[in-house]
Amino acid sequence: MTQPPSQGQPWRQQLIGVLVVLPALGLILSLIVYPVAYSLWLSLLEKHSFFPQQRFIGLENYLYLWGDAEFWTSLWLGVIYSFWTILFQILLGVAAALILNESFVGRGLVRGIVLFPYMIPTIVAVILWKWLLNDTYGVVNYWLFALGIARDPISFLGTDHIMLSTIVMSVWQFFPFVLLSILARLQTIPEELYEAAKVDGATPLRRFVHVTLPQIRGILFVVVLLRSIWMFTKFDTVWLMGEGAGAGRYIRTLPVYAYMRTLTYYQAGLGAAIAVIMFAILMVSTALYFGLFREEADIG
Amino acid sequence: MRRGAAITFLAMLLGFSTGAWGGEKKVVRVWHTETEPQTVAVMQEIANDFEKLHPDISIRQEGLAWGDLEAKLTAALAAGAPPEASHGQAFTCASFYHKGLLRDQEDIAAAIGKDNIFEVARNLCRFDGRYYGITHSPNTNLLIYRKDVFRQKGLRPPATWDDFIKVAQAMMERDATGRVTRYGLSLPGVPLFVNILVAELTRANGGRLFDNRTGRPTFTEKQVVEVLDFYKKLNDTVLPPGWLGHGYLDTFTNLATGKAAMVYQGHGRSAGYIEKYAPPGTGTPEYFGVMRKPHGPSGKDTAAQVDAEPWMIFKNSKYPEEAATFLKFFFQEKNYIKYLHTVPIHLLPTLKSVRSSQAYQANAMYQRWKEWVEMDYYYFERDLAKPTLVVNWDDLKLPFLLEIFGSNILPDMVTDAVKGMPSAQAAAKAQARAEELITKLGHKRW
Repeated sequence: MTQPPSQGQPWRQQLIGVLVVLPALGLILSLIVYPVAYSLWLSLLEKHSFFPQQRFIGLENYLYLWGDAEFWTSLWLGVIYSFWTILFQILLGVAAALILNESFVGRGLVRGIVLFPYMIPTIVAVILWKWLLNDTYGVVNYWLFALGIARDPISFLGTDHIMLSTIVMSVWQFFPFVLLSILARLQTIPEELYEAAKVDGATPLRRFVHVTLPQIRGILFVVVLLRSIWMFTKFDTVWLMGEGAGAGRYIRTLPVYAYMRTLTYYQAGLGAAIAVIMFAILMVSTALYFGLFREEADIG
Repeated sequence: MRRGAAITFLAMLLGFSTGAWGGEKKVVRVWHTETEPQTVAVMQEIANDFEKLHPDISIRQEGLAWGDLEAKLTAALAAGAPPEASHGQAFTCASFYHKGLLRDQEDIAAAIGKDNIFEVARNLCRFDGRYYGITHSPNTNLLIYRKDVFRQKGLRPPATWDDFIKVAQAMMERDATGRVTRYGLSLPGVPLFVNILVAELTRANGGRLFDNRTGRPTFTEKQVVEVLDFYKKLNDTVLPPGWLGHGYLDTFTNLATGKAAMVYQGHGRSAGYIEKYAPPGTGTPEYFGVMRKPHGPSGKDTAAQVDAEPWMIFKNSKYPEEAATFLKFFFQEKNYIKYLHTVPIHLLPTLKSVRSSQAYQANAMYQRWKEWVEMDYYYFERDLAKPTLVVNWDDLKLPFLLEIFGSNILPDMVTDAVKGMPSAQAAAKAQARAEELITKLGHKRW
């Protein structure tokens, strides 16, 4: 009597399945779960950034941050920076995508050029903008004065305008990502939809509202989500613009503050607590966002 | 046969991975803050010459921006991979000494001659009579001014801060519409330089930042509050409105291109920029001079900051002894003079013998701008120059200066005051923050 071939095989197949998944699982555990778990653990310690000394203090770091005016200011500055940069990236990105979706001479060249800001290294972009906006020798002030728009130089990098300058610079640098994503979706919208709308006498605005917008809302959902996460955690641009103090104090957002606590105050525990709070804020916001835009999430 | 080949292959692999194959070189990483291309090139020449004498050692130099140094060193220490040798601020060196991270440098001091080290360089990182850091070069920050404008307006060198503001106002220039075309002064607003200036001005005002006995901050004392009042006055009268967003190099640009009449935190390095960027025919000491800095209302004497990064050797690095051997070679007169001559007015010698040597003085730029160098020695010889954040030499015994520096508490205090907060209130706010930080670090002794 021979053994039925199916017996024992499912178990073997399952084992093979588990073995195949193991490397990926290992990667996820080591690259995602472990760092997050370690940050959580670190946030419960009083720990010097480069010394092995550490002491478990429970939720003390969180309680400290609750009463820390610097933390709340940084959170507020971070919200302002993220909100305005995301809003204008979306507006500019969508508008530019609509234009570049039309046919005109030199469209290919313009499509290439418009991606430049996204390809330039951040340090180069920041130096370039600082040079342009400098109040004593900057080109922008020179032209504002030459054209009679401003009588005195505007200190774009001073305390009063540095947030605005950083927002403008960030929008310039990151709107091509929105453009690229939307343009890719626009190119897949069937032309017949627009032709049918035209036959029905729809104006360009109505065509945008009733044809284009419903078609791009899925990708818009994803783009807003990604850009929100990236702008809320944006460090390099903001740090390079202000170095965290002087005028830079007015753009000391949460990632900058987390960096400062970790690597300039040398309080690794507090820095980790700020990072964990940022993580929690993003998780809650993302959950709310998915809840509010369930339909778009399904399309996206 | 196949097994034999496999064993041979494994043995070769093992040999390569342990460095036994052909003898791996000892890599000594050297971080420094002299990033000008000519200095980097000379450092490389010195490294190459050293490697010829020590074929088992490889020197890897890396030039770092001054403002990035502390963060980069900290990150390296946190990762457990410090370089073998690095420049650092005096307070960084002190802080690392207090944390037990540094190898002492008595052997290097002995090799170059302890009596041969300038007095100003002796206290930068020396504890319990032993050297833990020897500076690559000391210089001071200088008050640089437009000599031609100064002369043309018939002005006299200011003795006090109030006099200084009057002089700066007199040197300002406006066009027919009343728009400022030349500001009286240019200051960097970036945190490093605000930290430096707060300590320097406090010293020039007869004050202190910390109680040496207890380590308690003294920001609310009259002398520090007056420093904030001075900042407010400068901001309201002679500084460009956006100065808090200006970097160190912006101030040079402002001076060299005529947008500002003076800089308070200039360095010998500026002479090179002036020669290069000032309008044709004006890049000379005839147009750009240095003068003694004024003192505050509660002070009697002037003060300056000594810019003198000590070389530190990390005892937990891989090859600290080899790093020490390299530094002895670096300080050999022939190599050292070559290094100093890369930025002649800025890189002044740590060694007395070098200062008086003909080879060192035979430098055209040094001869041209000698007046500037003499101002450095004015501060050095009277012990008027102290390192960043140090008001009294004993401040270096405080174990938390690195953290105070990094926290930006002092730059925030200045920003608060300049933005309209009463000076006493800004000082009290900073005092509370500093006390809290020191307490959290476990260094509270009051």
